[in-house]
Amino acid sequence: MANINPKFGEKLKEYGAENFNACYNCGTCTAVCSLSTPEDSFPRNMVRCSTLGQDQEIEASLKPWLCYYCGECSLHCPQDANPGELMMSLRRWLTAKYDWTGFSGLLYKSLAVTLISLIVVALGVVGFAYQQNFELESLMHYGHYFEMIAIGSVFAVVLVPNIIRMWYFVIIKPKKKVAFATYFKASGDFFVHMFTQKRSLGCDDNQVRWFEHLILVFGYLALLFTTVFLDWFDSKNLFVIALGYIESIAVFVITADFVNSRLKKQKAVSTHSQPSDWLFVVGLLLMGFTAFLVRLAIDMNMIQSQLWIFIVHLIVLAQWALIVVPFGKWTHFLYRSFAMYFAKLIELSK
Amino acid sequence: MDKRLGVYICHCGGNISDYVDVEKVREAIENDGCVLMSKTTQFACSDSNQKEMVLDIQEQNLSGIVVASCSPKLHLNTFRQVSERADLNKYNYVHANIREQASWAHSDDKKGATEKTILLVKAAIAKARLAESLTPNKIMAINAVAVIGGGVAGLKAAISLSDKNTQVVLIEREPFIGGRVGQWGEMFTTNQTGNELISSLYAQLVTRKNVQIYTNSEVVSYSGSIGDFSLKIETTPRYISQDCDAKELQKAMDVCPVVVPDPFTFGITNRKAIYGFAASQYPKQATIDDAACTHCGACEKVSKNIDLSLQKEMVELHVGSVLMATGFDPYTPENGEFGYAENESVITLPQFKKLIDNSESKLIYKGKEIKNIAYIYCVGSRQGDEGNSYCSRYCCTSTIHSAIIAKKKFKNIHNFHFNRGIRTYGKQEVLYAESLKLGDLYLQATDDSPAEVYSENGRTWVKVNDILTESKEMQVEVDLVVLVTGMVPRSDKKVSTLFKLPKGRDRFLNEIHMKLRPVETAIDGITIAGTCQSPKNVAESVNSSLSAATKAFSYISKGELETEPIVVEIDAVKCTWCNECSTACPFDAITQGLDGDRKIAVVNTTVCKGCGMCTPVCPTDAIDLVTFSSKEIMNMIDALTEQI
Ligand SMILES: Cc1cc2nc3c(=O)[nH]c(=O)nc-3n(C[C@H](O)[C@H](O)[C@H](O)COP(=O)(O)OP(=O)(O)OC[C@H]3O[C@@H](n4cnc5c(N)ncnc54)[C@H](O)[C@@H]3O)c2cc1C
Ligand code: SF4
Ligand code: SF4
Repeated sequence: MANINPKFGEKLKEYGAENFNACYNCGTCTAVCSLSTPEDSFPRNMVRCSTLGQDQEIEASLKPWLCYYCGECSLHCPQDANPGELMMSLRRWLTAKYDWTGFSGLLYKSLAVTLISLIVVALGVVGFAYQQNFELESLMHYGHYFEMIAIGSVFAVVLVPNIIRMWYFVIIKPKKKVAFATYFKASGDFFVHMFTQKRSLGCDDNQVRWFEHLILVFGYLALLFTTVFLDWFDSKNLFVIALGYIESIAVFVITADFVNSRLKKQKAVSTHSQPSDWLFVVGLLLMGFTAFLVRLAIDMNMIQSQLWIFIVHLIVLAQWALIVVPFGKWTHFLYRSFAMYFAKLIELSK
Repeated sequence: MDKRLGVYICHCGGNISDYVDVEKVREAIENDGCVLMSKTTQFACSDSNQKEMVLDIQEQNLSGIVVASCSPKLHLNTFRQVSERADLNKYNYVHANIREQASWAHSDDKKGATEKTILLVKAAIAKARLAESLTPNKIMAINAVAVIGGGVAGLKAAISLSDKNTQVVLIEREPFIGGRVGQWGEMFTTNQTGNELISSLYAQLVTRKNVQIYTNSEVVSYSGSIGDFSLKIETTPRYISQDCDAKELQKAMDVCPVVVPDPFTFGITNRKAIYGFAASQYPKQATIDDAACTHCGACEKVSKNIDLSLQKEMVELHVGSVLMATGFDPYTPENGEFGYAENESVITLPQFKKLIDNSESKLIYKGKEIKNIAYIYCVGSRQGDEGNSYCSRYCCTSTIHSAIIAKKKFKNIHNFHFNRGIRTYGKQEVLYAESLKLGDLYLQATDDSPAEVYSENGRTWVKVNDILTESKEMQVEVDLVVLVTGMVPRSDKKVSTLFKLPKGRDRFLNEIHMKLRPVETAIDGITIAGTCQSPKNVAESVNSSLSAATKAFSYISKGELETEPIVVEIDAVKCTWCNECSTACPFDAITQGLDGDRKIAVVNTTVCKGCGMCTPVCPTDAIDLVTFSSKEIMNMIDALTEQI
C-alpha cells in the first residue's frame, strides 16, 4: 500500500517541473515517445508517480535516465502538462537524491547559492594568485596540478560514493538480484553508452543533436587529456599545440550553438532553461574559449603582460571542476551512463 | 358496394426487396376481388411516389389504399396526408409492416419471407375492405396550464407560458419556491449563486397578472382530461401573517420548543418548527413547519400575528394542460455505505456545499478544521443492474466545482477525487482542466473494486486500487469524506401516482419517446420537465421546461383539440354493467351510465386512448374498438391463415 503525498509535487516544482499536474492520463506522451517500451513505459507513468508523490518508486526507477528529451511528448500533450520537462526535473531531483553531500539539491533550488559558490571559487582563485604574487610560472605550475588533483578528489569524494548510492537505490533497496558475473557482462554497454550516447539516436529527428553531442564529448575529453597529460600550455610540440586549438574551437563552436538555441528557444529541449542548464553550457563555452585565448596569448608572447587571461581561465576551470562536475549537470552524463549499465544488469538478471 | 383498393408494395431501397420477392407479392394479390390496381415502388415515401398515389386515387376513384412498407411508426402520418391530399378520408388507408415483420426478421429465409409478406398484405387488404371514413373527435381546450413544482424548471415554464398569454397556476408544495437551486451557493458553469437565479426568476413572475402562485400547496385530486382538467388544491396555512416583523419572529423562534434538522441545509444545522426565510426563498413570509409543530401555543403567546387555529384551504381549478416539474431528491446513502452515518467525517455533496457556504475563513466540520478532503464519486449512481444504473450527470461537474471553490476560499486544502471516470461533458470540461491545474488529485477505481473508506483510532483513510497507477493500492488520510450522491426520483410519489404517470426502469417519470417526444407523457395533456424526468443540470432542466411549456401551449392554443377517433364503442344492448371493463381500463375512461334505467358502461371518448385493454375482458362481447373491431380482426386472421 502506498501513501499519496501531494506535497512531493510542490517539491518537484523547485526542480523546474511545471504544470505536470494538468495531466489527465491520456497516455499520448507515452504513445509518441520513441524510447518508451512496453517493459519500460514512460513518461506518463512518471508523471503519475510525481502527481501522487510516489518518491520511493521514482528513486528506484531508471526511467528518467532513459529519456533523452527530444520533447515530442510535450509537443503533443493535449493538456500542456510538459511531460518532457517533468522527466528533466526528475533527473535533477534524482541527482540531488544520489548526492550524499546535499549540495546538488541546493544548487538546483537556489540561484543565490549557485552564484555565491561561483563567486567564492573565483575569489579563492584570485586570492591564491595574490598569494603567489601573480607570478605566471608558479600559477601555470599549480594550475596544471590543480586540474589533476581536483578531478581525482572530486571522483573519490563525491562522484564514486554517489554512484554507489544510485546503485543502492536502484538495485539493492528494491531487492533486485544480480549475479556477480553479470556486472562484467554488462560493462560493454556502459562504455558504449558513455562515449556515444547511442540510445539518443532512437529519438526522432535527433541525429544532428546526437552528432553535436558526440563531437562535444570527444572534444571535451580530448581537450582534458591534451591540457592535463600532454601539457598543452607548456608544450613545444607543434602537433599538440594544433590539437589543442582544434579541440578548444570544437568545444567552443558546439557549445555556442547550444547557447544560441537556448536563447532562441527553438526546440522543446531548450525552451525551459534552468540556472543549472545555463551553468553547464556557459561553463563549457568559457572553458573552450579561455583555453584557446590562453594558448593564443602564449603563442603571441602576450601572456606575461596579459596575465588576467590565465587567471580568468583558471577561475572557469576551478568553477567547472569544483561545482559543475561534482554537483551540476555534468553528473547527468555520468549517471545516464550508469543508468544504462544498471538497466542492462536488471535486464540480464530477469 | 365493395371497396376499390390500390395496393403499394415498397422495395425500401433493398431493405425489403433483397429478401422479399416484391413482384411475386404483387402478383399474388393483384387478383384479389377489390384490388383495382397494385404497384411496386422503390421508395413509397418518396415525393414522386406520393404524387403518383394522389393521382391514382383521384383518377381511379379509389376508396381505400394499402401501403406495405416499413413500420407505421415511421410513415403512418406520411400516407395519411397523402390520402387527405387526394380527398380520401385518411382512415381508409391501412398499413402493412413488411420490413420489420418480414424482410428484416427472416433475412435468412427468402422464400418464407415472401410467403409471410403475401399473407400480411392480404390481411391488410381484408382490414381495408371494412375500413370506414371517420372524423377526429373535437374537444374544448381551456387556455390555462397548471405547473406543478416551483423549482427552476417550473419557474421558467411558468414565465414562458405567461409570455404566451396563457393563464398559469404555479403549485409549490413547500412554503417557498426555488426548489433545489435555491439551496445552492455558487453554481457551475456561470458561477451565479442559486439566490441570484431564483431571485431574478421570482421578480419576473410576481408582477404578472396571468400567474397565480400557490405555495404550501398540493394537488390532492383531479378529474377530466386533456383540454379540461379539474384539479383540487389543498393549501396548508403558514399560521403567520405578513405583518409579523423580524423582531417578533425572532421572539417566537426563541420560545418555540421544537428543534428539527434543517432540510434547507440537508441537516447539517437545526432549526425551530417556526422559521424565517433565506435570501433565496420566496415569498418573503415566515412559516410554521406543520409536520413538526406540536401546536403547543408558545409562539402565539409572544406574537399577535400568529394564529394556530387557521385551517387548511381547498380550491378547485380548471386547466387545459398540466406541466409536471416536481424535481428530484439527492440520493441518501445506506448506513455504512462508504462509512455514511457511522463515521462522522463522512458527509454528502449537498451537505458539503452548504458547509462551504456557511463557513467563513476556515472550513470547520464538527469542531475540526478540514484540510484534506476525499470525494467518492457515483454514490447512488452507476450501481449496475441491482441499483440505480444511470449516471446522475450533474455530480462530476458539481464536485469539481465545489472542490475548486473550497480550495480558493480556504487555505491549505488538498482535494482527492476517487472517481470512476470523470464525466464533465461539454463546456464543463474547462472546470476539470482548471482543477487539474490547481493540483487536485484524481484516482480512478474500477466498477468491481470501488474505493474504500476506513478508520483507525479515530483517523479516516480512503484507499483504492488506482487504475491510472497500474492498479496499485493507494491510500490517503483525510479530514472529510464527501460522498458524491446522485439524483433519485422524489420519495413522495403522491402526485405522479394521482395522475397515473408511467415511470421508467430508473423510476423517474417517463416520456413517450426519449428522442422524438421527450416531454410528452402517455397521459394526453400532461407534460414533464426538469429533473422529475431524469437527472439534469440547470441548463438541461430549463431546456426541457421551455420545450414542455411550448408543447403544453400547443394543446390549448386553438381553444379546441382534435383527438383520434380510435376509441371503443359500447353496444348498449349487450352490456350488462358487470364492471370488468372499467377496472381493466388504465385511464379511467369507462364509468357507469344509464340506458333508460338500465346500468351500462359509458366511455369518455376524450380520455379513451384506444389501447383495447377492455375489449377482451367483456364477457358479453359488448365492446368494439373502432378500426380494430372483432369483425376486422377476424377477417385479418382468416387472411393470415389462408393456404397459399
Ligand atoms: C449538490 C448539487 C449541486 C448542484 N449544482 C449544480 C450547479 O452548480 N449547476 C447546475 O446547473 N446544476 C446543479 N445541480 C442540479 C440542479 O440542482 C438541478 O438541475 C435543478 O435543481 C433541477 O430543477 P427542477 O426544477 O427540475 O427540480 P427541483 O429543484 O427539485 O424543484 C422541484 C420543485 O418541485 C417542488 N415539488 C416537488 N413535489 C411537489 C408536489 N407534489 N407538488 C408541488 N410541488 C412539488 C419541490 O418542492 C421543488 O420546489 C446540482 C444538484 C445537486 C444535488
Ligand atoms: S500527454 Fe499530457 S495529459 Fe496525456 S498522459 Fe502525457 S502528460 Fe498526461
Ligand atoms: S456525473 Fe460523474 S459522479 Fe455523477 S453519476 Fe455520472 S459519473 Fe458518477
